[in-house]
Amino acid sequence: MNLEKAKTIALGGFALVAVLSVAWQAQAQDAETSYKSMAPLDQYLMADRNAEIALARSAAPDSISRDAEVLILGRHGYETAVKGKNGFVCVVERSWMAPFDDPEFLNPDQRLPLCLNPSGARSHLPLTLKTTELALAGLSKTQMFDSIKSAFDKKELPLPEPGAMCYMMSKQQYFGRKYRNADPHLMFWYPQKDHINWGADFPGSPVDLHQYSPQPITEFDISVSRWSDGTRAPVNN
Amino acid sequence: MDQKTLKRIALGSSVLVLALAAISQMQAQTKTPYPSMAALDHYLMPDRNAEIALARSAAPDSISHDAKVLVLGPHGYETAVEGTNGFVCIVERGWMAPFDNPEFWNPKIRGPLCFNPPAARSILPMTYKRTEMVLAGQSKAQIMEGIATFAKKELPALESGAFTYMLSKEAYLTDRGDHNMAHLMFYTPLMDKAVWGADLPKSPIMLNPQFALEGIDVFLVLTGMWSDGTLAPVNN
Repeated sequence: MNLEKAKTIALGGFALVAVLSVAWQAQAQDAETSYKSMAPLDQYLMADRNAEIALARSAAPDSISRDAEVLILGRHGYETAVKGKNGFVCVVERSWMAPFDDPEFLNPDQRLPLCLNPSGARSHLPLTLKTTELALAGLSKTQMFDSIKSAFDKKELPLPEPGAMCYMMSKQQYFGRKYRNADPHLMFWYPQKDHINWGADFPGSPVDLHQYSPQPITEFDISVSRWSDGTRAPVNN
Repeated sequence: MDQKTLKRIALGSSVLVLALAAISQMQAQTKTPYPSMAALDHYLMPDRNAEIALARSAAPDSISHDAKVLVLGPHGYETAVEGTNGFVCIVERGWMAPFDNPEFWNPKIRGPLCFNPPAARSILPMTYKRTEMVLAGQSKAQIMEGIATFAKKELPALESGAFTYMLSKEAYLTDRGDHNMAHLMFYTPLMDKAVWGADLPKSPIMLNPQFALEGIDVFLVLTGMWSDGTLAPVNN
């Protein structure tokens, strides 16, 4: 290789790194600044009621979700769209169920379908309903944080019951710009004081751990191999 | 319908009944290929290091590398490697299956698993107990009786969050199918399996009646990935 060629390659390499770096920085700033405040409510709602019901149900295999209660988001909170009979409740959560420090906390594009099992519906769904109520009331993130903390402190919000879990296996789920549609998984909730060691977040482990604040809850996410429709999911671990 | 036709149908039916009876007998025979315990040597692994490696393969190296490892000797499980992270890895044998499992005495079974700390404290004692009774030469009926008493009087209370990794690519869990599947196991008090949506079509959760006698449910969650990070076949 002659010197001129080497110089050209080196220059091209630097230019590419610089361009990628600027693009990455711009994207990061974009994500951080784009969702500083709540977008107009309509952007969080789904205009087609049946589409929201179908999306909620897609969180779990049909054998579970077809007999589940389905909630959909209206202007004043979640409403029952379909009565269930197996104790499961399917719902499409919005971005404000993400951690409070998540830069996409108010990303109106997020659609997070989940089907909670009966103990999850009793002990975790109240958190979804409460957080949504606060978001729709137009509270700031700080106010929401304080209100949730106070509700747990006063025991107005319950701690997870034993066996509380949910399915998140919808191929259409959208976690935002960073995680996109992520992977199909199950979530298990425990009171934070239990200090359970599941080997979560270790390299190669299919278990992820989330310790949210101010919720005194430990959440374990377990990646599974298939979407709710039975098709194989890509492996992201 | 004339008499000839009736005779033909009757003859045909008798042949069918005989054929079905023969098939059922053959099925019964193939269902119990392991009626009793084989010679102890068939259950042991002569290469101690191979057993340590197999036990560790149950979980990703990031977990099993620092786990305590037990190996099976003629008198029970022995500590082969001391651990530092509270996990315990071990290769279980066929007798850890449900008591009515036709492969209970299958000497080929090798079930590597790594217990998290709550499971090591509250589930692993069952492995010790069953193994101790098996190695003492007790019959299945005696083991069942002993386990029922043990569960009532000595077994520590089940701890919240008890679970195990079973992600070894080298496991041999059954003579059937692929012999293996990558999964995690959760231990809960006995409950309706519908509560977790287990055993329903396309659900990644299955109920294993392994410890029904002990009053504990074992839920399997299929992960689709081996401990070495490679893709496992999905066979639910």
